Amino acid sequence: MHRRFFLRLLAHVAGLALFAGAAPSARAQLLHRPGWESSLVSIEVTYKVYDAFQPWNEPTRAIRKHGVVIGPGEILTTAQYLPAHTLVRVQKGGRGRWHDARVKWWDAQSNIAILESASPAFWQGLTPAPLADKIGRGPEFDLVRWRDGNLETRRVEFGKFTVGEGALGFAPHVQLEVSTDLTGLGWTEVVARDGAVAGLTTYSNGRVCGVLPAPFIRDVLKAWREGRFTGLGYFDFTWQPGGNPELLKELGLAGEPRGAVVHRAGRESDPAKAPRPRDILLEIDGKPIDSEGDYLDPDYGHLMLENLANRGHFAGATVKIKVRRGAEELAFDYVVPKAEFADETVPREIFNGAPKYLMAGGLVFQPFAQPFLRGWGEEWRKFAPFRLQYWQFEEPADGRKSLVVLSGVLPDAINLGYQDAIMLVVDKVNGRAIATLADLVEALKTPSAGGVHRFEFMPGRDLQRLVLDAATLDEATKRVADYYGLPAAQRL
Amino acid sequence: MRFEATTGPGPRRKAGLMFWVILLAFGCAPAAWAEAMAEAGAPPAAVAEAAPERAVVQILVSSQVPVFDAPWRWQPIRRSTGTGFVIEGGRIMTNAHVIAWAKQILIRRYQDPRLLPARVVFAGHDCDLALLEPIDPKDLDGVQALKFGELPAVQSTVVTCGYPAGGDQMSFTRGVVSRIEVQPYAHPGNRAWLAVQTDAAINPGNSGGPVFQDDKVVGVAFQGIPGLQNAGFFIPPEVVSHFLNDVKDGRYDGFPMAGVSFETLQNPAYRRLLGLADDGRGARVDWLRPEGPAARALRPDDVLLEAGGFPVGSDAMIPYRGNRVAVGVAFQQPQAGENIALKVWREGRPLDLEIKMEAYDGDRLAGRQYDEPPRYFIHAGLVFTPLSANYLDTVGQAGRDYLWEGLARLTYELHHRTVEGAGESRPEPVVLAGVLPHAVNADFDVRGRVLVNKINGVRIERLEDVKRALEQNQGARHLLEFSGPEDGPLEALDRAAAAAAHADILRTYGIVADQRF
Repeated sequence: MHRRFFLRLLAHVAGLALFAGAAPSARAQLLHRPGWESSLVSIEVTYKVYDAFQPWNEPTRAIRKHGVVIGPGEILTTAQYLPAHTLVRVQKGGRGRWHDARVKWWDAQSNIAILESASPAFWQGLTPAPLADKIGRGPEFDLVRWRDGNLETRRVEFGKFTVGEGALGFAPHVQLEVSTDLTGLGWTEVVARDGAVAGLTTYSNGRVCGVLPAPFIRDVLKAWREGRFTGLGYFDFTWQPGGNPELLKELGLAGEPRGAVVHRAGRESDPAKAPRPRDILLEIDGKPIDSEGDYLDPDYGHLMLENLANRGHFAGATVKIKVRRGAEELAFDYVVPKAEFADETVPREIFNGAPKYLMAGGLVFQPFAQPFLRGWGEEWRKFAPFRLQYWQFEEPADGRKSLVVLSGVLPDAINLGYQDAIMLVVDKVNGRAIATLADLVEALKTPSAGGVHRFEFMPGRDLQRLVLDAATLDEATKRVADYYGLPAAQRL
Repeated sequence: MRFEATTGPGPRRKAGLMFWVILLAFGCAPAAWAEAMAEAGAPPAAVAEAAPERAVVQILVSSQVPVFDAPWRWQPIRRSTGTGFVIEGGRIMTNAHVIAWAKQILIRRYQDPRLLPARVVFAGHDCDLALLEPIDPKDLDGVQALKFGELPAVQSTVVTCGYPAGGDQMSFTRGVVSRIEVQPYAHPGNRAWLAVQTDAAINPGNSGGPVFQDDKVVGVAFQGIPGLQNAGFFIPPEVVSHFLNDVKDGRYDGFPMAGVSFETLQNPAYRRLLGLADDGRGARVDWLRPEGPAARALRPDDVLLEAGGFPVGSDAMIPYRGNRVAVGVAFQQPQAGENIALKVWREGRPLDLEIKMEAYDGDRLAGRQYDEPPRYFIHAGLVFTPLSANYLDTVGQAGRDYLWEGLARLTYELHHRTVEGAGESRPEPVVLAGVLPHAVNADFDVRGRVLVNKINGVRIERLEDVKRALEQNQGARHLLEFSGPEDGPLEALDRAAAAAAHADILRTYGIVADQRF
């Protein structure tokens, strides 16, 4: 797994709020602008669902969420459910006609999307809502949503600012948690204060509701509009709090505990310009790091240092990191790696097009990704095979960057005896190491001795190898595809 | 999950089943025995003479299990009951799980008010069988030992006898043999042997009780499957006699393990590749445990044609007394140290081989351990103990709830790295089980449930390494590295302060001994 940062389970309480409200003229403007009914819109998304065990199937589902008009012809919403959309429609006023809409832009790591609609009728009467520049701590926000055709506005309590992964990505960024007794949240309801959008909800868990803060959204959108949004970044090294003074002394730092201890180096960044194991992180981007691994954010108070990967810049930016390495203090220019799903051995998501697969002689192969594991249902962590899941935690010994899984067998004469040979990670085919379906395609061009295709699986407690007849493979593949109604034997 | 003992594909597919092994009590009257045996084929008159129920005893056990993540402690005393029966030599056969961790064993003879103290003579936890004897041999005077019969046929009638839950008196139930095949044995957790399934009610408390056919014992009741009605399992005579033969030399070695996994060889292309006719013969060698007995003779893709005189089919099964069972049963016949003859197909030719079978305890920690309290070492409040299935059972639902990455890492270390991680696996992985809070260790961020990788630069292969690495360090601090094999979290202790605090910590937490090796 390439997520190299150390996310602590306990999130951090924000420091003093610095928000002093909008300037008088702007504030007056906000108070006199039309109500949320003229800015909050409903969004209906029809999207394709990944069928883990029959990836050629593409059933669809539909959900409804919210969006908010933020500019001429622009609706802001979260990116959730949009990556595989087939149809997006929007509705104003909580009722009435649905209008076709288009996804103008979306980004999974930041979980932000912009929609537009070419329907002039839709835009009539809608007015943009402002995004708050800053949001301070507590005590309350308004939560606004359409419910049964009526606008519902309820109070929710400020909880805390945290740093965590987004709903769709693994790049860490600041998030807001609010507390409420309301149920059924997390559908991009607007959290508002003083007439401005303070954030959009992204999930709900009991009384806690996660909110994507407006200032973060503003920064991303501003960069996107200016053509300089390079995606969110992350720190590819792993660290732990530096609260043990004996450990700091052992690593060369005397005095009061400060800094965080790196215990695993990153794999994406230049080793000469990145922290090494046993370095003590003292400063990042000019912000001193305390022994909790936090820094003092001028807007949010104490936040986990991971937020500095995206604060005021994005992936590819150079960030000055100061470390203690033995007796020396060093500073180097660390280039923040871009958070890319493709960099994970078992990607959390695969958003680039329809699910890929290759069926050969009834054996179904897929790129191994977390969505496949999620095929075991909501409790997939409990029910998906343990060894398959563990690939998320430990990379292959030979350093290959991705994996292919034999996900199923469509019974046929050619694969007789292999009906239980499933959920196996492929090691080699015809002697060639397999990291992608493209590797598999190449490997199948050259059968092994004896006129067979030889499939070897990763060492372990399960089946180690099988062979298929090479001479009849193409014919069998076609036969199986026809018999089981596959639209194509492969989608690469 | 592969059970080496089984050496066939069947049990792997069943490994996910959860078994119960529960001990309670019940009862029955002699008339019931006569009636039940009559229906099972024995004449009532003979029953009156032999009265086999007189050889069946109730076993009352007080046991105490260690706390594996606080290994100097013990759980509260637990009382349970099971069943046993007298065999030749004045001994009582029962299940090993009946007497596991026993502090006191009492037996109660049929319609006898006395509680008679007994002790364990042999416990075969790998096959869930045990032999007891009364402290006073006279306590079994007048009891006629039961005789063992043959493996019962499928569909034949059997009678179970014991003290299941729901009452104090002996209970008899009658049923048929449903099937005979290799099953995971729940008590060890990582072994699978031949077992017989019956629809005769086998309930908690029946454990260790005899299963009769005619007037012979044809099995020992031992486990069931939760949620599956009318399905109980008993240990067949083959497994029982293997255990009894094993202990004849006064020592229990355990079932030997060949260290090989066979796969079916039903695919026409694979058969052609290996030069075999499509005649349904032979199972393919798929995996060999490095340095195991089989690895010294067999190679991957060898085809096993015969094992111990049993012809091996392409389904990786052998015909066995009218049944078709996993080929591993052939490897369960010899005792440790005995040979098994194999006929193998290699590179287009038949080959005769012999394997000297060996008992194997290399996966001891991955199975559940009994009767020996866990090893541990405590220093400055840091509690070190071997990673084991018992430990994982204690700290969480090992292998079930992967939400906690740390637990998944320990599960992998225990159950998978030994098979996969050539060179990186450790003979006895050690965990920091916990940290007993004290000023000297209070700043630790790591609080336990983590693999110990290195201490003061020494890679920790077994518990002794922990002690050595700490005692031999002359530096100002102890440096501890966790997880691994990659770089994991670090912690450090002031060496002098740790040594000074050690006794105080033991006193504070009421720990009498800081180590058990």
